Amino acid sequence: MTSVAATAQPNWFQEKILLGMTGRQYLRSLVTPWNFAAAAIIAVGVPLMIWRFAFGLASVTNLSQTQPWGVWIGFDMMTGIALAAGGFTIGATVELFGLKEFHPIERPAILTGFLGYVMAVIGLILDLGRPWNMVQVMIRNGTHSVLFEVAWCVMCYTTVLSLEFAVPFFEWLGWKRLYTPLRKALLALTVLSVMFSTMHQSALGSLFIIAPGKLHPLWYSPWIWIFFFITAVIAGISMVIVESTLSHQVFAEKFKGQHVDLDKLTIGLGKAGAIVMFAYFFLRLQGVVDGHAFGYVKGFYGAWWLLEMVGLVLLPAFLYAYGARNRNARVVRIGGILGVIMIVFNRLTVSLIAYNWDQPVRYVPSWQEIWVSITLVTVGVLLFRWIVNRMPVLTPPADAPAH
Amino acid sequence: MTANAFLASYSAKVLEYTLAITYLILFVGFWRYVQGGKVAQAAKAVAHAPERIREAARGAAGWFSVPEAVYLHPGHTWARLESDGTVTVGLDDFAHRLVGPVAEVGLPQLGAGVSQGAAAIRLGADHKTVSMLSPVDGTVVAVNRSAAEQPERLGDPYGAGWLFKVKTSKLAANAKQLLSGEGARRWLDAAGESLAARLSPQLGHVLQDGGVPIHGIARELDPENWDHIAREFFLS
Repeated sequence: MTSVAATAQPNWFQEKILLGMTGRQYLRSLVTPWNFAAAAIIAVGVPLMIWRFAFGLASVTNLSQTQPWGVWIGFDMMTGIALAAGGFTIGATVELFGLKEFHPIERPAILTGFLGYVMAVIGLILDLGRPWNMVQVMIRNGTHSVLFEVAWCVMCYTTVLSLEFAVPFFEWLGWKRLYTPLRKALLALTVLSVMFSTMHQSALGSLFIIAPGKLHPLWYSPWIWIFFFITAVIAGISMVIVESTLSHQVFAEKFKGQHVDLDKLTIGLGKAGAIVMFAYFFLRLQGVVDGHAFGYVKGFYGAWWLLEMVGLVLLPAFLYAYGARNRNARVVRIGGILGVIMIVFNRLTVSLIAYNWDQPVRYVPSWQEIWVSITLVTVGVLLFRWIVNRMPVLTPPADAPAH
Repeated sequence: MTANAFLASYSAKVLEYTLAITYLILFVGFWRYVQGGKVAQAAKAVAHAPERIREAARGAAGWFSVPEAVYLHPGHTWARLESDGTVTVGLDDFAHRLVGPVAEVGLPQLGAGVSQGAAAIRLGADHKTVSMLSPVDGTVVAVNRSAAEQPERLGDPYGAGWLFKVKTSKLAANAKQLLSGEGARRWLDAAGESLAARLSPQLGHVLQDGGVPIHGIARELDPENWDHIAREFFLS
């Protein structure tokens, strides 16, 4: 690589896109086991998506009139949107609450959020029976529908996230005239992101308010929209803990010479996570008491509920608390992983497992549905890596203000 | 609602209120547990028992003490992160002994901004004033009026002699310019040695006794120009 640089100055494309390598060198650098696995997943996943648009939902999914929502909604949308909540959680922490020490993890959190939303939107478009009718949301006044709110907020927030992400993007291109005003607008964008996120994260829960007979009483509550919002905050915190830990390991060379005390930030996040999770545990109990549903704590669903409440809410709450108290980032990280699992568990339970729980015929996703979901996650991870390797996300430029 | 017939609405309400109260009581304990721990306790111990820690530190550090969890600025001011997130600022043991009793302590205004390495504190005695530098960037959120009114409080430099508190967003960056722990102690010892080199001709016997340097070394050294000596050490 150095010999090439000595003989010929790399052109713009080589420098910005190929990381300073020649085309041949770059292609060779891509030959890794992980990339092969990712390529295999995408090679099957993308044709499946095309297949779905060509031959309809029934050709690849097990969806039916009784179960119109499958994993593309339960996982890609419900879980993906919650896990992408780190963008607004950390944005608010840094910009609005003024905890500037979390600034080093703000950009990766926003990028994770942005990609999470883009993937969720793609999943949603795949799931819509007539995706071309999506434009109706924008031209019709469907204010009586919760989905109307979800659609508008997700559209608006994805726009806000793209503007927030545009800062490192234009810094990468060196377009100062564009990134300077955007940097100044970051505070306003954060206010908007908190507003839209509060609305649609909770609205995703509101979707279930009209289904008291369909959702199992241990999960159904008229306050489910509050639970959805609180778990989104937990998901944001947990995801940022997991994502920053992985980033610091995978992209270790990017942090050389940087003095970001990630353990300290992780412990700070753990403290917040502990408090929110502890409160959430009692709110969920209150929901069950309020719904007169304690009698249902038996059998499969009772055990499933206990697994969630004790293993995935109470346990990570105490792991976070123990880690924060004893300055043990490792314990906080284990709590973070459990927090992420809790979100996947909760969203899949509410939208699939405990939904239509008393129906004689249950929905089981087809392999194609699962494969497409895995494809979307893989594409998200690859995009994250592609962007982080090029744009100033993990290590903001020296002239970037601490906002 | 059949599976819960055992819960009449009154008893359900009782359960709800009991749960809410239980939560609030448990939350107090949980909050204290999360907020407690090693570091918070250390900060508290420094705040509440400065004497004990100073005594312990003095034995190890020679003439001048520096407690744990205190960051020293090369201009002989210190910064300490408190459990509430603010940073307390004061002058170190060396500065206090160098200048000796002062008549006047000038502190920044509440709400004023201070910058690391810029003058923030004024010490006045014998119609002369010396400035001292702020160890951190930030906004002043509290000033120790009793230290300004009773300068003898500076005799407890890391305790009752604290000067002001700032809210800072740049502690991590600022801390890179500061010394702590063993490094701080060694640096303070070195400063003491460089002072001893000046003292020897006049006051050598005092120090060779192994005694602690007297209060107001600079004035002992040069009553007319003590402020020049102080400025040299305080980098102001």
